[in-house]
Amino acid sequence: MTLRSEVLELSDSPDAVYEAFCEREWCDGLPIIPPTPERVEAMLAAVTGDPGESLGPLPPLWREATLEKLAVNAVMAGCLPEHFPVVVAAVEAMLDPAFNLYGVQATTHPVAPLLILNGPYARAIGMHGGAGCFGPGFRANATIGRAIRLILMNVGGGWPGRHDMATHGSPAKFSYAIAENEATNPWQPLHVELGFGPDESVVTVFGGEAPHNVNDHVSATASGILNTVSDTAATLGSNVKWYLSQSQLLVVLGPEHAATIAGDNFGKDDVRAFVFEHARLPLGTLKLGGMWGIQDWPRWMMAVTDDRTLLPIVASPKEIFVIVAGGAGKHSAVVPNCTFSRAVSRPLTRVRP
Amino acid sequence: MPHIRVLSPVGEVKRHVLTAPPLPSDLKGKTIGFLDNTKTNFDRLVADMSGLLRERFGVKAVVHRKKANAATPAAREILEELAKACDLVFAGSAD
Repeated sequence: MTLRSEVLELSDSPDAVYEAFCEREWCDGLPIIPPTPERVEAMLAAVTGDPGESLGPLPPLWREATLEKLAVNAVMAGCLPEHFPVVVAAVEAMLDPAFNLYGVQATTHPVAPLLILNGPYARAIGMHGGAGCFGPGFRANATIGRAIRLILMNVGGGWPGRHDMATHGSPAKFSYAIAENEATNPWQPLHVELGFGPDESVVTVFGGEAPHNVNDHVSATASGILNTVSDTAATLGSNVKWYLSQSQLLVVLGPEHAATIAGDNFGKDDVRAFVFEHARLPLGTLKLGGMWGIQDWPRWMMAVTDDRTLLPIVASPKEIFVIVAGGAGKHSAVVPNCTFSRAVSRPLTRVRP
Repeated sequence: MPHIRVLSPVGEVKRHVLTAPPLPSDLKGKTIGFLDNTKTNFDRLVADMSGLLRERFGVKAVVHRKKANAATPAAREILEELAKACDLVFAGSAD
């Protein structure tokens, strides 16, 4: 295997390697696994393709996303080789023009690509979709999400304050990757809904804000829980809704909320329809802030003049994604998107048998 | 202390770099374009600059086009129109 990356010789101590990568602005501030040629080769062996093969130029600096560079960053993040096909598929998905990675990388908004892994590969590598799935404690989640961020920084060139112009950034920019909790999902999992087979393994990237909590310890009905979901989703300060044609909302139902909703005979279409109808803000509120004046709305919304009219945050129910994740408890989450990126899914096609 | 060999994680640019034509030395009789990113007040800036360019620099015409919104690339038709009609185009980045 021929590797082409520049080689550095450093003192063989964890502190020296960590220091050298921090000095060069090659890491996220956390310690890294040294990307030795041997480790990078082991990573590359987990996927099909030549190390020099590029998935495309990665914005904002348009540097080539070669499999080798993706593998170097995956090693640094702490990935195991079996995690690498997920990283590669996620980069393929982010490079789809519909995802608008240039915008996601360069904006002042705190957007981060959320990776959702569905299918048998998620179970095989221990990608976690249960209790605390958005938080620490699970190697596959932590390192795959971190690899994506290191790739966006080191290959794409999105360094905070320089090309990544996010005002505050987000904890989600360290790592933002989960599996769907398919075992507790009373409906079809996300990838099946999107047209993939149940036995396919699929990664979906969603350009989202960090999760907004939906606490509902009171409601014992589908409509009660979904009213709380809708109320949390429709807020003036969130980006979703301002460029309506690209606005999407992810609803992450906790298993207990999902069971209650399904117990009322709600299918996923009903969930989407309910949230579409109820996650709305009055025109008069929308005029108070956000991106009022520079919104990109369809003609019918621009023609509304009555301040009491309730306006939607996405163009149709199909722009609302519903997944089940998390553990016990009366919480769900909503993840509004950044309003200028559409979710993209890619099957894992490069797993080396 | 023994040494360890590690690989750089930084990507490399392999795209062909396009060379922009030189800026005109004189704006007299030229057509100037503005690509508006739609953010607040850029349209006012264009209005003021259009007047100045005409009065002080003898600019013949100004073409002002807006993107659909600030976060997505300009439509191909807009870029083609500006490229065809203008001698010089300013990309607006109001924020």
